Amino acid sequence: MALKRYTKMEYGSPDEMVFGEAKYPVSYGLGQTVGAGMVIPEINFAPRPGAEKNPETLRREYVDYITKDILDRAITLGFPAVQLENEHVFQMVNEPEKFEKPVVAGQKELMQKYHDEYGIALSIRHTIADPRLAEEGLRPGMDQKHSYPEKMFEAFEVAAANGADLLSIETMGGKEVADYAILRQDIRGWLFGIGYLGSLDMEWVWPQIVEIAKKNKIRAGGDTNCAGANTSMFMAGGYLDKDIPRTFSAVTRAIASARSLVAWEAGASGPDKDCGYEGPILKSIAGKPCAQEGKGAQCAHADLMGNLIAQVCDLWSNESVEYHPEFGGSSVQCWLGNIGYEAALMNTAKQLKQDKLLRDLYMATDRYRSPESFILAYDNAYKIGQAIVENGNDIYLRAKAAGMTAARLIEEESKAGKLKLSKHEQDMLRRIITDLSALPDEQGKFVDQCLKAYKDIPMFNPKNYDL
Amino acid sequence: MIDLKSVNYDRVLRRYDIQMEAKETPEDIASKMVPQDPLLRKVAEDVVFMRYKNVQDDVAAALESFSPEDIIDKGLVKGMDVVSELYGRGIYYLPHVMVAADAMDRGVKLCESKMASAREAKGKVVMHVAEGDPHDIGKNIAAVLLKSNGFNVIDMGRDVAVEDVVKTVESEKPNLVTGTALMTTTMTAFPKVADRLAEKGINIPFICAGGAVNRAYVESYPMGVFAEKAAQGPPLANKVIEGWDWRKLREDWDKLVGGA
Repeated sequence: MALKRYTKMEYGSPDEMVFGEAKYPVSYGLGQTVGAGMVIPEINFAPRPGAEKNPETLRREYVDYITKDILDRAITLGFPAVQLENEHVFQMVNEPEKFEKPVVAGQKELMQKYHDEYGIALSIRHTIADPRLAEEGLRPGMDQKHSYPEKMFEAFEVAAANGADLLSIETMGGKEVADYAILRQDIRGWLFGIGYLGSLDMEWVWPQIVEIAKKNKIRAGGDTNCAGANTSMFMAGGYLDKDIPRTFSAVTRAIASARSLVAWEAGASGPDKDCGYEGPILKSIAGKPCAQEGKGAQCAHADLMGNLIAQVCDLWSNESVEYHPEFGGSSVQCWLGNIGYEAALMNTAKQLKQDKLLRDLYMATDRYRSPESFILAYDNAYKIGQAIVENGNDIYLRAKAAGMTAARLIEEESKAGKLKLSKHEQDMLRRIITDLSALPDEQGKFVDQCLKAYKDIPMFNPKNYDL
Repeated sequence: MIDLKSVNYDRVLRRYDIQMEAKETPEDIASKMVPQDPLLRKVAEDVVFMRYKNVQDDVAAALESFSPEDIIDKGLVKGMDVVSELYGRGIYYLPHVMVAADAMDRGVKLCESKMASAREAKGKVVMHVAEGDPHDIGKNIAAVLLKSNGFNVIDMGRDVAVEDVVKTVESEKPNLVTGTALMTTTMTAFPKVADRLAEKGINIPFICAGGAVNRAYVESYPMGVFAEKAAQGPPLANKVIEGWDWRKLREDWDKLVGGA
């Protein structure tokens, strides 16, 4: 299937973007419509260690405990719509018929019951684990040890046939190179790993997911560069962390956006995945709904844009929380309360026609908290989107342009504006601009250069990408 | 967009990292710590300032006057000590440590090629990522830090089956074994590894770390010792070499890793 490249922006200006509205709303599940005037809380969870002991213990954890707790709390607090996200554990992708099927079917059965009884709009995203190992092979027939590529698609089929409303994945293509590059602050290597190899992998994976979704009359949502840009973001961390500079993390986020766009180019409808902080850039380009997480995801990680990242979301998520008791109920109930009340605030602002003011307040609080939050502020996200579509037909050039635009935006604001940078962040920014400026203007030359430079990286096998 | 000009951002956020930025430079600190001898100094500085292109030439020059053992201990390792100091003070970031370790590794390899017998490592560590888990960046960082601290690392990679870990520990006889996992349902391989090691009569510290892994969980099975971050690997491993068992490591854990 041919990919439809984005070569123009779907939004005419950044100001057109606001939370709870997308150019192309999507309907699915049990009365759910996303991006059509409402922000919907999306609750994500992880089973307790040991729940995976056998298929019945896992089903009980996911269905009888987690899903039931969520649905009870949604009714208790009066939320009109809720989306669940099940990020599949390894056992579900390794043995889909045995472990995955009862969970997927059981969750949907319970959701149907609550929908029928209370009329609450409900949907569930199933995010299939990507267990593929670069050292064993990313494509079918290559992994003789585990057959992970085959199992991954089997898991999609099982989810789609048994109750999933929305399919997603966090593909891992190019991570072996990006991990190597991040530890050496090598922006060229990261661009090659995620901007190029990651895009190639998605170009292969996503048309197949879209086909599975179509066949089962459900939706293909989107991807996230959790494996790459979030690794950067977590390592860059907060003000006490010294693992990598935040200017590096910000530029990797921009590069990642050119890669995550591929899912939508392959025909996925959105909403994309919550942990893809590149969502505002993707939405500015494609007008499809996006899921985001921030201050309501402190159970999973402490980012430096807890408010800002809500600015243009359509689903508002808690990322993931391990199921356990809290004083206020189970963890999923407490975090649903957190994100559900935030969605209620956004939806009230929409009703009072104050949504753009609230959007700007979210954005303003964190605009200067870090270089990454700065480039994701919706006006800057839009500029990065423009750089991508100007080079839309070339996965290398657009990723490079996204990175360079982010770097220049940070440079300009740190010189003349309110964005402060540490010495090391400044040094890194200068090096990134120098390194990106030195790269070739042609994809072929870049790839030749990188294949030579990174040939000895452990686990990197060009055959995984048909190179 | 609303006008942000009137916002006093001091009331909104504070960049504590910039406020606390060290005034000392790497050069200031290195000058106090590197050896005085010009040849060894050059080798140590190659590591500190990540001149991995120079390190082999400078080690070769030093080999004309010093034994390979002395160049490792008094030049390359000294350089890495400076790097650890700079990282500890927040002047260097993790990638500096990784690149410096690459430089040191090049120098060590050249020295080892000139030695009559293999260099004795401080100790041996078997490392793995839990079965079903492909997330290995933390393990890779820890491996570099342990190697640069003089440990012989047997890196089993990621998604490693419990039985394979047990077999490798049996055959390699390491001083300690490590396991990392990102997810709640893959870290459950750790107690299985511990049980199987115990069945084989093996009783060594099993350092466990990773995204969802926490101290209470790791201390719920025998041999488990928690590490919160990769930089805590060397101080824990050093104590194992001094003879501490996993119970003692747990007991003194707060004191031991507090500064790492």
